[in-house]
Amino acid sequence: MKGRPTATRTMLEARASLLTGLRAFFEARHSLEVDVPAIAQAPASDPWLDSFTVNDPAGVSIGYLLTSPETYLKRLLSMHQRPMHSIGKAYRANEEGSDHAIEFTMLEWYRPCDVRPFETMVGEIQDLVESMTEFGRPEVISYCDLFESTFAVNPHRTDVQALIPFAKNLLGAKAAAQLDLDSLLNLLFATEIEPHLSNHVVVDFPIIQAALARIEIHEDDAVAKRAELYIAGNEIANGYYELTDPAEQSRRFAHDQARREQLNRPAIPKDEALLEALTAGLPESYGVALGVDRLLKIVTQSKTLAECMTFTGHL
Amino acid sequence: MASFSTNEFKSGLKILIDGDPCTIVENEFVKPGKGQAFSRVKIKNLKTGRVVEKTFKSGDSVEAADVIDLDMEFLYADGEFYHFMMTDGSFEQHAADSKAVGDTVKWLKEQEVYIITLFNGAPLAVTPPNHIELEVTQTDPGLKGDTAQGGSKPATLSTGAVVNVPLFIEEGEILRVDTRTGDYVSRATKK
Repeated sequence: MKGRPTATRTMLEARASLLTGLRAFFEARHSLEVDVPAIAQAPASDPWLDSFTVNDPAGVSIGYLLTSPETYLKRLLSMHQRPMHSIGKAYRANEEGSDHAIEFTMLEWYRPCDVRPFETMVGEIQDLVESMTEFGRPEVISYCDLFESTFAVNPHRTDVQALIPFAKNLLGAKAAAQLDLDSLLNLLFATEIEPHLSNHVVVDFPIIQAALARIEIHEDDAVAKRAELYIAGNEIANGYYELTDPAEQSRRFAHDQARREQLNRPAIPKDEALLEALTAGLPESYGVALGVDRLLKIVTQSKTLAECMTFTGHL
Repeated sequence: MASFSTNEFKSGLKILIDGDPCTIVENEFVKPGKGQAFSRVKIKNLKTGRVVEKTFKSGDSVEAADVIDLDMEFLYADGEFYHFMMTDGSFEQHAADSKAVGDTVKWLKEQEVYIITLFNGAPLAVTPPNHIELEVTQTDPGLKGDTAQGGSKPATLSTGAVVNVPLFIEEGEILRVDTRTGDYVSRATKK
């Protein structure tokens, strides 16, 4: 019957034990668990994220359900300058499938770090996988190495024309020609590379996919200091060496907004509170978001996310 | 013409790809955390039976195929067409050509009910029931102690199909056969 809990007793116990384990992991590392709102005035600006709007009883919009607690955690980080994490629900409209749900549990953590922040972040992601799963320590590999070994193309120097032939095989010529560089890279990575990543932290992304990560020069290429964890072909976590410059942040908002317009996607208000926090000062830091349900899926060796959710198909 | 958006994709959905009727076997939603979403689908071409993988951008739509599965009883073959009749009491008849009948021809028995797949109103495929009972029209007498063929021998059935049967089976017997594998299942009642 629709509306009954769908998780088995074993799954409920596995989830409880994973949550307890994650909390213990961060407590041992002196991170403070913070409980942040699920509704915000401005949603994430990422062009491909769809946020739910929240209306009051009169039908007037009061804000958005968060696609991640990033804005609140960065505001807290700016004020308290200490490691912290949150475990709570996040919401993404139009995302449903065997690895997606519109409401899911997200762990997000931030840590101020002056010395080698990016390497420290990668190390902490590896530590987490090692202590929470039986997969062992993930291997670190660069986006460029993966892309070059699969397509013989340097992803930092390529363009739309060079990638369309690969996308044609998947989408057909007409649809492939409609994709921009970001979507071409995403499509090729998601379909040809991601399924083969068994336990890997992928580092140094193309700058077009920097989102809110720093950009650095690495072996003559500008790269985004992003790290993504993949286990058994699933994207599990995504970390940034965080952008702290409010002017650059403002430019990225404007860039996202312009892309949204191009793509005919709804315009969203600028996150002024986040900009204010950056202006007040964000410490040198990194932040990582992790899909708890997906990690649970991996840990319990389930086939679909639905099996891991306490309720599914209830709406 | 009706069409389906990728967010309506599910297995069993009938869509038109390059003019051919196809059915979705499997649909996978693919979306990197920060990127555009795609649907990766396994599609079976209902004309050729071939299964291919295709990727669509989320939000794109695909034309619906006018494909429907109906129960029909096999009436007779006239040398060119195979004639079937609806079992819903309408007595509506449809003529399938040998291309639509395909391999099912060896399981065609009068008065048996088949699934006829219609595309734009015309028979596209004929699917036999999983099990069918047919008479043995020819088989060599089973010799006692003959185990050279692993205890089985070929038998020709009334529809022309040849199946391997146990040695004790005789001509004129009715057998139950699995049409998916072409395997002998059991003896049915004797004629």
